[in-house]
Amino acid sequence: MNEKNIFIKKTTYRILGFVFAMLILSIVVFYFARLAPGDPLQSFYGDSVESMTAKELQAARVRLGLNEPIFIQYIKWIENAFHGDFGLSLKYKIPAMSVVSPLIGNTLVLGGTAYILMFIMAVLLAVACAVNEDSVFDRLICKTGTVSYYVPPFWLGILLVLIFSINFKWFPSSGAYDVGKANDIINRIKHMVLPLVVMIMSHLWYYAYMIRNKLLDEVRKDYVLLAKAKGLKKSEIMWKHCLRNALPTIVNIMAISIPHVLSGTYIAEAVFNYPGLGSLSIESAKYHDYNLLMLLVLITGFLVIFSSIIAKTINEIIDPRMKETEVSAWQK
Amino acid sequence: MDKVLELKDLSLSFYTKQGEIEAVRGVNLSLNKGEILAIVGESGCGKTVMSKAVLKLLPKNSKIKTGSIIIDGEDITDYSENKMRSIRGGVVSMVFQDAMTTLNPTIPVGKQIAEAVLKHNKVNSEEAKKRALEMMDLVGIDDSMHRYYMQPHYFSGGMRQRCVLAIALASNPKVLFADEPTTALDVTVQAKILDLLLEIREKTGISIVFITHDFGVVARIADRVAVMYAGKIVEIGTAEDVFYDPRHPYTWGLMLCLPYLAKEGQPLESIAGMPPVMINIPKGDAFAIRNKYALEIDYEEQPPMFEISATHSAATWLLDERAPKIQPPVSIKRGLKNG
Repeated sequence: MNEKNIFIKKTTYRILGFVFAMLILSIVVFYFARLAPGDPLQSFYGDSVESMTAKELQAARVRLGLNEPIFIQYIKWIENAFHGDFGLSLKYKIPAMSVVSPLIGNTLVLGGTAYILMFIMAVLLAVACAVNEDSVFDRLICKTGTVSYYVPPFWLGILLVLIFSINFKWFPSSGAYDVGKANDIINRIKHMVLPLVVMIMSHLWYYAYMIRNKLLDEVRKDYVLLAKAKGLKKSEIMWKHCLRNALPTIVNIMAISIPHVLSGTYIAEAVFNYPGLGSLSIESAKYHDYNLLMLLVLITGFLVIFSSIIAKTINEIIDPRMKETEVSAWQK
Repeated sequence: MDKVLELKDLSLSFYTKQGEIEAVRGVNLSLNKGEILAIVGESGCGKTVMSKAVLKLLPKNSKIKTGSIIIDGEDITDYSENKMRSIRGGVVSMVFQDAMTTLNPTIPVGKQIAEAVLKHNKVNSEEAKKRALEMMDLVGIDDSMHRYYMQPHYFSGGMRQRCVLAIALASNPKVLFADEPTTALDVTVQAKILDLLLEIREKTGISIVFITHDFGVVARIADRVAVMYAGKIVEIGTAEDVFYDPRHPYTWGLMLCLPYLAKEGQPLESIAGMPPVMINIPKGDAFAIRNKYALEIDYEEQPPMFEISATHSAATWLLDERAPKIQPPVSIKRGLKNG
């Protein structure tokens, strides 16, 4: 089999797997959302639901398609979803898509910045610790890191607000921008600082520690001895040899961490009242806004599964051995 | 002749929780220019530790207790890590036992060779590449232009060992430590690598310390042979001295283990017992308890080096004038006549 065919087959396989995973995800969430106690009509009609008669309620359910069996509801939902119609948000009473779309950018910018900054810092920290293994510096960083990892992010958020917003008044305590300054980039960045600190602090050490340990695994391998015998410096060996060999692992960790960072974003958004997908998801779950919740879950699921596929592809580019093994598996 | 490497009374210990491990105990050794010196001995006798000590590649819990290491007339015993870096790869190189794992799996081999060139020569990357290609040709890797960009997993074991050799030779070092470079290879490839080493010695005039436990390999390659036991050199001489006139009972034992010296229909000889654990070495000769010909004094006092000829000496009390005259086992003599 030539290489092009293998590539096509592999890509088809991955896309099919992706679609399958998304289907399973949607079924599970669809079902579980409806199992949760509470009435979606409450969020649709607000308090007036209490003065409605049983007949009116029944009519409302039929109108919203909530009277049918869950299975039928799901079939209808997915049919519409394939046409790009994700239904009406029960709370906002406009299409779910138009509720979500203005906030996607906010979350991606906040989460993405935190993600990139966090991994740059994690790699730097990991290399610094690995080069000075078991030194006072390494031990100090390890201990502080472990403590920082167990600080609850919401508590840290409140603490930061107390110190930097209320006491020093350096950074605003909530929102994405001040009223009337939507296009002021400096103002937006100022609003991002505290959420970013919370997100980075709560995950940084966990990943830095994983990368550090992977690097220390690499340091014990034979090729390091050869590199030393060549006359290379410790730091040169770390950057040129060990880090390169640890890269597939780091990329994997980065891919796996996306849900982790995303959840961190959601928490930070909730604490700092930052308009984004996170605060919206929590809201939609609270108000039984099924359609909105489904859309948010699909977006989150898409990000997570897609990122793992990207990670796999990048890994193959970095370390061709992985491709080889998979190719030979295909040839059988 | 110029001595490129001299070890003077070198002793080295590891300090562990179990106690002090005396890995190398008072080794005296010298290596002439363009010479191949083979160091033979069982696993754990200190061959590798000794060679790594020269490059200071040992873990932090090791310490040179006494003695000095002199390379090209310069005493490097107290060299700092910074100074050692210019020695490693530049003046003294080392090839390790397992070529399968000593190359970095993710970096193309050519670049790994060029890296060594760049480290020790003031050249730009173009020139380093050119030199790396030359080295690949020298160690017998065909089609080097193409293979320069290949990762190690495309290469066979023998080819990888050639690559490692190319890295070691990249900056024209004066001394090469080859630590069992052929052990992980099959016999035909072994022979090719040995021929390659001889050829490289012809071309570059490099001195080689060849570490092995295989007397067959020694016979093929070495000019001089040092037999090592429990961190000491027990017999040293030219290849002829050691092969045709071995004097130390340990050397006899090692030679009796050679399959082609065994009598047909009889089990292969072996040296009884195990090499000593290097913590709390008993007083006297460390080999005494395994030695069929041990004298009483062997348990009391360590034998000094007895000079047999200008090139040949051995550390055994059997060479003392008061000792009984003991002939080496007959099969050694017979085998050598036949072989």
